[in-house]
Amino acid sequence: MTLLPQSFLAVNAISRHFGGLKAVNQVSFAVEQGEIFGLIGPNGAGKTTLFNMMTGLTPPSSGQVLYEGQDIARLSPHRIAQRGIARTFQNIRLFGNLDVLHNVLIARHLHMRSNLWAGLLGLPAARAEERQARSRALELLALVGLADRTDETANSLPYGDQRRLEIARALALEPRLLLLDEPAAGMNPNEKQVLSDFIRQIHAEFKLTVLLIEHHVPLVMGLADRIAVLNFGQLIAIGDPAQVKNDPVVIEAYLGEEV
Amino acid sequence: MANFFTTYSALIVTMVFAAMLALSLYLPLMAGQLSLASPGFYAIGGYIAAIFSTTLLKPTGDVYPLPYLLLEMVVAGLVSGVLAVVIGALALRLRGIYLALATIAFVEILRVLSLNLPITGGAVGIFGIPQPFQNSLGYLWVAGPLLILSAWFVYRLERIRAGRALIAIREDELAADAMGINLTFYKVLAFTLGAILAGVVGAVSAHFLNTWNARQGTFDASIAYLAFVLVGGSRTFIGPLVGGMALTALPEVLRALAGIPGLPGWLAQFLAEGRLILYGILIVAVATNFPQGLITPKLFRRRRPHKKIDQPNLVQSPRADKL
Repeated sequence: MTLLPQSFLAVNAISRHFGGLKAVNQVSFAVEQGEIFGLIGPNGAGKTTLFNMMTGLTPPSSGQVLYEGQDIARLSPHRIAQRGIARTFQNIRLFGNLDVLHNVLIARHLHMRSNLWAGLLGLPAARAEERQARSRALELLALVGLADRTDETANSLPYGDQRRLEIARALALEPRLLLLDEPAAGMNPNEKQVLSDFIRQIHAEFKLTVLLIEHHVPLVMGLADRIAVLNFGQLIAIGDPAQVKNDPVVIEAYLGEEV
Repeated sequence: MANFFTTYSALIVTMVFAAMLALSLYLPLMAGQLSLASPGFYAIGGYIAAIFSTTLLKPTGDVYPLPYLLLEMVVAGLVSGVLAVVIGALALRLRGIYLALATIAFVEILRVLSLNLPITGGAVGIFGIPQPFQNSLGYLWVAGPLLILSAWFVYRLERIRAGRALIAIREDELAADAMGINLTFYKVLAFTLGAILAGVVGAVSAHFLNTWNARQGTFDASIAYLAFVLVGGSRTFIGPLVGGMALTALPEVLRALAGIPGLPGWLAQFLAEGRLILYGILIVAVATNFPQGLITPKLFRRRRPHKKIDQPNLVQSPRADKL
């Protein structure tokens, strides 16, 4: 153990190559606990690949992801989830044929203790735990505004509600780090504003550290404490929104002439 | 009524076995794993019972003692379970059709082994397996409770944490993994539970059939069990139960229909002799028109009044009140 103060999450010289394509190339940055950290960049910049490496879906070609000082880059996704990292997906991945309540209930998995036999026999402790999981799931659904749609099939929900359900499902893991992959995709400006307020609300309420990929630049600028900019797999800028906004490299690479 | 039971006792017991074997294939399918290994474990269970009862536990009286049968069932379940953990850990790395092929290979290896090993009686198999009951209807005393127990097991499983983990894996493996569900553990668990059930059923079945040989539990059986689940329904445990029973009874029902007096001769003959054709047509028709099988969870879902968007809170969902 080193005695140096450690970052909550530190990405250390991480790379991922797909054949000759360097999807992510030697990227390093650190995220402090309690931050809302934005990750932006043009299409194909490597943002989602970076997320996948942090959540165990894609092993990095080289480099480390240090979460509370430990390298999690090559752990399987469920082990990373156990450590308190939850995520949503760019192309929504709900349990589409199941109802809304069960989508969240499944995500209570890590917070339920009773074993197979206690559950099968319906022992009092297992029943109590089941009731608790249900009420927790309903609370989260109420929080995202889906309390009256618990019986509906997940893939019958409108797009915006599916995104909200995915966030409720991620929150059910009681994470300390929440990774949101383009949560505002496909939303209209009004919905985007609501979502932005909602992210701020859950960030405060659940004492989360939020890492956010977003295409919609004004949303990230308004929401994030700090922003990292990726382009062609490389980190080209990092800093607070004002800094990034005025960085000529960023303007040239991504933002066009003006924000 | 008594006459009905004596005439059809063998069929009824076979239907109960079929329902449980369908359930044994349904268990891994709950986790989205298309495993056709059930007949292999069924065969192993049968051989264990056959070898035990004809060599180790030779009965003294006319009737084979029931505790011996129960002991065989426990051993068959244990052996199948242990073997399933080993095979599952290796085979469940494969997905979809590749897993199905690997499990068919497992069934085939067992068949060839049992044809050639001395202990399994080679091609002749093991015969003269002692009877614990006076007639075939007596087997319901074992098969009936076993069916109720296994159905209750799966019914409960679908409603608890472990079962939800299986269903999550079936719905979206990657998302389930990201929700903290250990994929390998739950896949092997589902595979093992199915194997234990198939092994136990095999042990009872060996006594019921009186002989056991390499023709029990082959690739044909894999396909038959799969048909039970696909026709009955692959999304609730009722599906395989109904599918297994109905498809087992179907040939007899058709035979009975053919016997109805006054039917045109050609129709009666087709019903009696074209049973396999009708069986095939049924499977194709159901598989193409009802991809989730005939019995789906939707049939059991309570109907709730449809909520309109412009009148919120007028109709509150009963669950939401508990918040």
